[in-house]
Amino acid sequence: MNGSARISRRRLLGGASAVVGGAAAGGLLSGCNANSSGSSPGNGGGGGGSTVTLTVMYNNNELTKDHIADFEAKNPGIRINFLQTDATRLNAMLASGTPPDFVRGAAVGSANVNARGLATDLTPYLEKSQVLKKDDLLGVNDSFRWDGSKIGQGSYYGIVKDWSQDATLWYNAQLFDQAKSPHLSETEPIGYDDLLAVGKKLTSRQGGKTKVYGLGVEWAWNLFAPLATMILQQGGQIYNGDLTETDFTSAAARRAVAWYVDFAQAGVGPSSLDPLPDGADLSTFMAKRMAISQDGYWYGGNFVKETALHPVIRMAPAPVMGDHRVSPTYAGMGAWIPAKSKHKDEAWKLMEYFMAGPPAEERAKSGWGLPALKSLLPKLPQDLPYQKQAYKTAQNELQFSAPLPDSPYATVDTWNLTLDKHLQRAIKKQATVDAACKAITDDVNKVLKQGKEQIG
Amino acid sequence: MARTSWSRYSNRSFYLFVSPWVLGFLLLTVVPLGYAFGMSLTNFDGSSPRWRWVGIRNYTELFGDSEAWHALLRTIAYTAIAVPLSVAAALGLAVLLNRRLKALGLWRTIFFLPSVVPVVAMAIMWKLVLNRDAGIANALLHVVGIKPIVWLIDPMAFYALIILTLWGLGGGMVIMLAALQGVPAELEEAAVVDGAGRWRVFRHITVPMISPVIFFQVVTGVIATFQIVVQPLLLAETNSIAGVGQVPRSTHLYMVQVYQEFFTSNRFGYGSAMLWVFFLVILAFTLLIQRSSRLWVHYEVDTESDR
Repeated sequence: MNGSARISRRRLLGGASAVVGGAAAGGLLSGCNANSSGSSPGNGGGGGGSTVTLTVMYNNNELTKDHIADFEAKNPGIRINFLQTDATRLNAMLASGTPPDFVRGAAVGSANVNARGLATDLTPYLEKSQVLKKDDLLGVNDSFRWDGSKIGQGSYYGIVKDWSQDATLWYNAQLFDQAKSPHLSETEPIGYDDLLAVGKKLTSRQGGKTKVYGLGVEWAWNLFAPLATMILQQGGQIYNGDLTETDFTSAAARRAVAWYVDFAQAGVGPSSLDPLPDGADLSTFMAKRMAISQDGYWYGGNFVKETALHPVIRMAPAPVMGDHRVSPTYAGMGAWIPAKSKHKDEAWKLMEYFMAGPPAEERAKSGWGLPALKSLLPKLPQDLPYQKQAYKTAQNELQFSAPLPDSPYATVDTWNLTLDKHLQRAIKKQATVDAACKAITDDVNKVLKQGKEQIG
Repeated sequence: MARTSWSRYSNRSFYLFVSPWVLGFLLLTVVPLGYAFGMSLTNFDGSSPRWRWVGIRNYTELFGDSEAWHALLRTIAYTAIAVPLSVAAALGLAVLLNRRLKALGLWRTIFFLPSVVPVVAMAIMWKLVLNRDAGIANALLHVVGIKPIVWLIDPMAFYALIILTLWGLGGGMVIMLAALQGVPAELEEAAVVDGAGRWRVFRHITVPMISPVIFFQVVTGVIATFQIVVQPLLLAETNSIAGVGQVPRSTHLYMVQVYQEFFTSNRFGYGSAMLWVFFLVILAFTLLIQRSSRLWVHYEVDTESDR
């Protein structure tokens, strides 16, 4: 209409655009600080009586809502901000310098995290603790120790929640009977070659589909640990003395790789070339479509309510591929406290509660893995016949526990990727077993060299 | 005259109006690009403070990395198949639905619906459909006497990914439909009067008239398909998206390899170098398509005379 009206409208639009621009910028800038905690800072934890918010990254079926409520009730100054385990998110949080205060992690493979200086040394906390005591820790916790050059000694960088003799077997006796195959011993291990032969006998097919798998080895979960176990059982080594090189062309490694190739080519169980839809053996085993599953003691926790399975399931010792009987844990799941956590004291309180308090007792009684504390071992369940049998086998296996080798310069994930890639080529006959072993050696040594250069 | 009418707005208003976009572009595009380039010159592992400058070593390593090159070639092959198929199928569907049909709205909704289903839900659905033992695809094949196919591993996983991509072409179909409805009916009628058959009308009138939209679909399709990463991860036979190791070789595309370098190998520096090279590759392909458009894209306005 007139000039002043036009200017006014223009000013209004200009002002609006400034507001929008400012809001966008403000939002972006505040987004950069999304992880900042409202609690008081400080290396030792929040002081001054204010509530500390502890960011915890764990699995919600392990650290449950009830556990969190109970912990918060017992520790009124601590609130838990729970994040479900997410490796990508953890990486991003570590990269941005705002890691969680308490993180789920495995003891086996922790050398990489520990050597990179990402975890807090828990030894001073252990020495002062009235709840978690060094002399109560089972040997499995030693895989969380790092002295600057090797695992097994030096400072503790994590505590194991529970663990299993992961190479041990569970089998369905009914399927053995149907195939007229003798049951496995409760105390004496079967050889890997015999195990494969039994697996072939137990496998049945119909109309191009596998009706019953003879043997599952949880291929999608881990290849490094079982192959390393096979090599150790033959008296071989995975790494050289300073953990900077591997040699998979050794006779022991070659035999282990060849076994995996034979296993997949025989089609007795799932592999990455013939995977199960859910990537795990459990549902197939519980549906009585898998005769043997190599899963460890913890597997028994799945069967408590499966009464139909109780009369037919059994646990058997870890199979062997040589003269040395070794029954290791492949993981030893537990927790660690990041070096950049701002609430280490509070995180340690959660560590004490979760590893030695009511949740630990609950876990031990449930049979979901073996406890990592000597004092909790007697609490393992023996109410049901299968639990009693599994208890006996697991107790016997304890004498053959041994830590798996762990180099800080290559992660278990990298190992698994490399092994699977070259195993696939050998299974598909695109490469010989010897060529696959050579390629594994070359690829992993390249990674080890990069890791050495990174960590120093 | 035009200049005079625009001159009443001050420069300040102009900058204020464009500021949201400029700020977004600077903070969310330019800064990350620069940051990634800086990171590509280091051996940063994504978490520890133990990193150092390595110069262009990540780039020289990349040129000798056969895994990365294979992944790139696979991505180009996938794009070369998926984009033309998507565009052609979207155009074909749009032509079919640009007629006077009964329940036309219903048909359009049915074909558009899959494109609004979240990619995670779509991938889970296709994983179930293509499941070897319990999937409907193999059940149908069984009816006609064909043995079960293991769809989600090599080499079939590649085709499963193509199917998943084509399933979401409803979005492209709607854009094509809008373009078809913008073609003046009198032009097509005139061609028919001149004796042109249906195919000639489509080939010489309809397609040239909608060629700018086809061009848009091709360019955006190529850029999006090059960058595909979530679908191969979701289709892999694993219960975890972090299970990049379970992605079959045939769907191990370039961005999957990048994902692996970042989050499995913790090689943020090397992964950033891969991303920068990929950025340049995508830019080169986009420019190539842009150049080729002079040969096959027809604008109703004379763009040359504006210069």
